[in-house]
Amino acid sequence: MLQLTGVEAGYDLLQVLWGVDLRVEEGEFVALLGPNGAGKTTTLRTIAGFVPSIRGSITFRGEPLDGVLPHKVSAIGIGYVSESLNLFPAMSVYENLLVGAYAVRDRARISSTIDFVFELFPRLLERRDQLAGTLSGGERKMLAIGRGLMPSPSLLLVDEPSLGLAPMATLTAFEALKQLHARGVTILLVEQNVNTTLHLVDRAYVLEQGRIVLEGTGQQLLGNNHVQEAYLGI
Amino acid sequence: MTTATNLRAVPFARRFMSFTWLVIGFVVLVMVAFAFIQPSILVDTLVTGGMWALMAGGLALVFGVMNIPNFAHGEFFMIGSLVAFTVFVPIQEALLDNPDSVVLKVAGPFPGIIVAAVVGFLCGVLLEVLLFRPLRKRSREQWVMNTFLLTAGVSVLLVNSDRLLFGNDFRGITRYWDVKPIEILGVSVSVDRAMVFVIAMIMIAVFAVFLQRTRMGRAMRAVSQDETGAQMAGIDLNRIFVLTMGLSCALAALAGAALLFMYPSFPDVGIQPLYLAWYVVILAGLGNVQGAIIGAFIVALLQTLAVYYVGLGWVDVLPTAFIILILLFKPSGLFGSEVKGVWEQ
Repeated sequence: MLQLTGVEAGYDLLQVLWGVDLRVEEGEFVALLGPNGAGKTTTLRTIAGFVPSIRGSITFRGEPLDGVLPHKVSAIGIGYVSESLNLFPAMSVYENLLVGAYAVRDRARISSTIDFVFELFPRLLERRDQLAGTLSGGERKMLAIGRGLMPSPSLLLVDEPSLGLAPMATLTAFEALKQLHARGVTILLVEQNVNTTLHLVDRAYVLEQGRIVLEGTGQQLLGNNHVQEAYLGI
Repeated sequence: MTTATNLRAVPFARRFMSFTWLVIGFVVLVMVAFAFIQPSILVDTLVTGGMWALMAGGLALVFGVMNIPNFAHGEFFMIGSLVAFTVFVPIQEALLDNPDSVVLKVAGPFPGIIVAAVVGFLCGVLLEVLLFRPLRKRSREQWVMNTFLLTAGVSVLLVNSDRLLFGNDFRGITRYWDVKPIEILGVSVSVDRAMVFVIAMIMIAVFAVFLQRTRMGRAMRAVSQDETGAQMAGIDLNRIFVLTMGLSCALAALAGAALLFMYPSFPDVGIQPLYLAWYVVILAGLGNVQGAIIGAFIVALLQTLAVYYVGLGWVDVLPTAFIILILLFKPSGLFGSEVKGVWEQ
């Protein structure tokens, strides 16, 4: 479904990715792990069209994705939930979801997707008319994921849902991702929370210094020496 | 599944307890109080306030959505008055030839005003496509400063083009509607002034509904609050920028056209409306359209009071003094907040 081959990318004078090879199959739940500054967020931003790639190719369902503008990436079915969430703080929860459905013209579909999001996160329904800027950290994450779901993406890129969250809220976020995956959404998840993530996903990649250094199923990586030493502290 | 539409979390009364509504209430109260002492103050405030609201609303919109302090905003007022003059004069002559034509008498002024708004919209679109978009592609560093200089340059260019092409003359009309004045609250108000108020109110209402309820209006507010988030939601920024600039310039041109009987078209006619709009926007808080509309009426009220009780020369002194006072205590403006929202809920 999504294929990155030798992708190099970065910001102005700072190259971050030095040849990332990565593939996500239809219906998979894949994680991208790695230490701070390895280029996990940059990888997602490159896929989403916010960072131009210097070399290499990105394809989505066989179509090239290089140089495609962010709003077009969203239109072809790739949802992106960024680390900083990028919500609209002066809009209500409901309006944030409506804006998320900007590209959807069918009103019935919009309201059924909103109902689906409220079903997934009942908390958001309670906060329906509250401004997004006044939500708690956990609720903001829920809203960001919910907004990302509004165009019914076939692939969802999620950047560090656990960042800055209390353990309980992290669990809720992970639980929601699990449910989405069960409903057929393909997910590429970036995480620092290695242990929980590896128990959750089908496959994972480990990114270090802009390159993929390891790849395998969750169980394989949990048993891997390097992962145990560097990330699990065993 | 229908719970989403049934739940209303915010009680009706609490929606109106905000600071914004307190200010609106206070302004309305003051205006009503003066309506008893001197009804013409109320009438004057409403007429001028309505037009400053259109000017300042557009200025605030462009700053809120595109981060551009538009110092060429007054020139769209000028373009509007020029277009309205050009379109209206032949109609006026036609009216002289058939003085009994009711259609010409009643509807005659509208083509000019409408064409002015359309031309204003197109000029805004050109400005975005030809100037701001290339600049945005090249660099977004120092964006506010660069666009300030750019718009100041555009202003000089447009003023002098007008002077070059059409000369330094005043092109004005004495009135749009050649009918007897009407009486409101015992004050005789010319139909032109009454129509200015009606047009302003209709435009403000349409504008408000557009920003709050429509897909495009919501997208505009989304861009003003988080550009990245808007792109993630599938919004094409360029499209929103074109629409924003067009809309803002259309409102300015509309104001220029509707006020043609008060402000004859000449190259510098945009200067005073530009600074008034800036007073209002600074008073209200940069980039807040809703605040700008309320602020326009506050400034208009202060202007009217200055004219009535102090003297015509003080017309700009009272509003500016008030703005300085507000900024001393609330540096972000009357309705300014941390969150840039264009239109608050």
